[in-house]
Amino acid sequence: MNDSVIVSDSVKKFKWIGTRPIRPDGVPKVTGRALYGADLKLPGMIYGKVLRSPHAHARIKKIDTSKAEALKGVKAVVTAKDLPEQKFEYIGPERVAVNFWHVTRNILAREKALYEGHAIAAVAAVSASIAEEAAALIEVEYEVLPHVIDVDEAMAPDAPLLFEDMVTRGMDGGKPSNIAKRLEFKMGDLDAGFAQADVVIEKEFKTAAVHQAYIEPHACVAKMEADGQGEIWSSSQGHFQMRALTAQILGVKIGDLRVTPAEIGGGFGGKTVTYLEPVAALLSRKAGLPVRLQMTREEVFKASGPTSGSSMWAKVGVTKDGKIVAGDVILKFQAGAFPGSPVMNACLCAFSPYDIPNARAVGYDVVSNRPKAAAYRAPGSPIGHFAVESVIDMCAKAIGMDPLDLRIKNVAGIGTPTIAGPKHAHAGFRETLEALRNHPGYKAKLGKNQGRGVACGYWFNGGGESSATFQLNADGTVLVATGSPDIGGSRASMALMAAETLGVDYDQVRAIVADTGSVGYTHVTGGSRVTFATGAAVVTATKSAIKELCKRAAMIWDVDPEGVVWEDGHAKPAGSNVGDFKPLSVKELAAKAAATGGPITTSAGVNAGAQAPGFSAQFCDLEVDPETGHVTILRYVVAQDVGKAIHPSYVEGQMQGGVVQGIGWALNEEYIYNSKGLLDNAGFLDYRCPVASDVPMIETILVEVPNPAHPYGVKGVGEANICPPMAAIACAIEQATGKRMTELPMSPPRLLAALSEG
Amino acid sequence: MSDAPARVVFTAGFSNRYTNGVREFEVTAKNLRGVIRAMDEMFPGLGTHLEEETTVAINGELHETGYFQTVPPGAEVFFIPRLEGG
Repeated sequence: MNDSVIVSDSVKKFKWIGTRPIRPDGVPKVTGRALYGADLKLPGMIYGKVLRSPHAHARIKKIDTSKAEALKGVKAVVTAKDLPEQKFEYIGPERVAVNFWHVTRNILAREKALYEGHAIAAVAAVSASIAEEAAALIEVEYEVLPHVIDVDEAMAPDAPLLFEDMVTRGMDGGKPSNIAKRLEFKMGDLDAGFAQADVVIEKEFKTAAVHQAYIEPHACVAKMEADGQGEIWSSSQGHFQMRALTAQILGVKIGDLRVTPAEIGGGFGGKTVTYLEPVAALLSRKAGLPVRLQMTREEVFKASGPTSGSSMWAKVGVTKDGKIVAGDVILKFQAGAFPGSPVMNACLCAFSPYDIPNARAVGYDVVSNRPKAAAYRAPGSPIGHFAVESVIDMCAKAIGMDPLDLRIKNVAGIGTPTIAGPKHAHAGFRETLEALRNHPGYKAKLGKNQGRGVACGYWFNGGGESSATFQLNADGTVLVATGSPDIGGSRASMALMAAETLGVDYDQVRAIVADTGSVGYTHVTGGSRVTFATGAAVVTATKSAIKELCKRAAMIWDVDPEGVVWEDGHAKPAGSNVGDFKPLSVKELAAKAAATGGPITTSAGVNAGAQAPGFSAQFCDLEVDPETGHVTILRYVVAQDVGKAIHPSYVEGQMQGGVVQGIGWALNEEYIYNSKGLLDNAGFLDYRCPVASDVPMIETILVEVPNPAHPYGVKGVGEANICPPMAAIACAIEQATGKRMTELPMSPPRLLAALSEG
Repeated sequence: MSDAPARVVFTAGFSNRYTNGVREFEVTAKNLRGVIRAMDEMFPGLGTHLEEETTVAINGELHETGYFQTVPPGAEVFFIPRLEGG
């Protein structure tokens, strides 16, 4: 069982918010009847296959598709020549540095293949086996080029260049290199800060690229019509995003595409970008038939985005009494084959949990012959935190202070400046640290070869654009539709918020995820934004419905609408009308909808702001086997500021999931390349994710410090929890063995090697 | 009610690109639309860059850079690079 603890500052009492009803998508999922991206089969549907580069780096001299096209059963063959060229310009959010000149080259390679698995061409045929056979008949003439995998090697002056004309954004002059961008953020006076320190510790770190490892591979079905209209069914974290990206890549109007979300078998950031949808649409347009395209597990590893590996240096200065006076960090991130690693996020998050007056963060975004990096749960932040939290732990040991006490002494609060510039506007960090320190396990004794490590993590959390519609059915039940794919239980959360707002029972509300033609624009399910932003849209739409219901009651009673109030799911007479009429329930008003003006349906679109950041503090107890280097996690406790837990079980699940992914990142997961730049472990057998038997039950402490900017106090909970585990585990290993591990993963061979150094 | 101007702040990188390295400005406006318009008058074209490239923190509270956000008198309006999550 989960020893969950809820520590709450919330003073409001709710009927439904904070309860744990059975998840509405549970039965279809546990009975295997939920429909995922690869489950849809349309009449006349044919099957696509992508031909991928066998080389890490090669110039494409010629592609001959004639033999594939001649194979019986083949209906279409496409290459990059079938896609329009895109303008070279960086647009949109700086972090992802979206440049469609790059994006279209990742969808289908043009001048060069930039990594093993890079899509070169695609075919569609009447069967999957014929499609596979046809793909093998495509003849590609390559000029194999020298490759570079490691980020430090990619930054070397003599490194092979992926783009011969790429100069570094953020740096004046300079010759072309693999460094796509340099960033620097700073505050205070670093030299003066370090001069005040009694102890200054600096260290270098490396982390491996790790995959989001969602269970469901990418999959979609596209059906393009002769008139240019098209429909796509796909599994993604944002069907509006898939529609926009596909339209841009194909050069068609957004309004010509309709995208329907399938159930999604995990995303963790990796399904916010597109790989297959434009290719499937292209094949469908050429073949005149619906096309299904899906990746194998090997393709997922080789051709979809992991998060960045990194090379880092961190330096922290602290006084004898535990005041952190300066921090400095240099972060070099692998972007993969195209610019756009999450290094900016790492720069902005690394010192954010603390009140450090003098700090600097420098970031480099570096391309190398790997698949393009994609978002992964708090993208960038866990990597930077591994370095900074490790050094803070070393500082605590150097001055003889408890690592949690050191963090509490330096914790950021409302008004604390951040390296990004703005001051913190929300509380919750201190409360979270204190809740963790109060956990009875924190002072428990440890045995031989055992250690305890502490670390913290910060994530901005997201807001932004979301839409919702509210429909009252004739029997008084309610349908709430949103545009947010449900990854972490949002259908239950939306239904809970609608039920609480309307004042009806939870089982009277059904929440669904609607397609792009049936609900307003909604940004992706990512950034821990859905319960906050889409939740705000649901509450707004429900309040509009309440206003309409009061109007309908006023019509029935023949009074002014101002003479009606809404309480406990009923319209009640107010003011001079009190006591004149029997309150009307939602069901009674629904029955009179036709007579009072027609269907009761409302919608809301919001651009939700003032989201509060996420903060998590964790401790880990573990034991190291000195003979094998194997680490056993004995106990793991995660505290997190969750604002207000709408459905606590889902919140606990998010916290546990983030920690387990962090444990995998810390101990086992990595992309292993051979000397040819080819990935040697593109499967779950060799890419070792943690399984249930690898981890204990993760104990959760839900710290509720409500966000006043949300109707129910919500703060995003999906991401901050993955930031601390790597450092917490490294610190615990250090306590157990005396060895400070600075490179991930801390796998048995690497740990054994460190132990054997004596 | 005070008409104290808002303090508009840019990051060093943004100011180097668009405002000749000047990082702070005082602007009187009731909402973010007014701030963007005032900055665009000072540096033609800047409004588009602000809308497309930044997130804004008004007294520390993060918002997408839009028009409708209220700017209280004397507020700190800090434009930072736009952020995306996973």
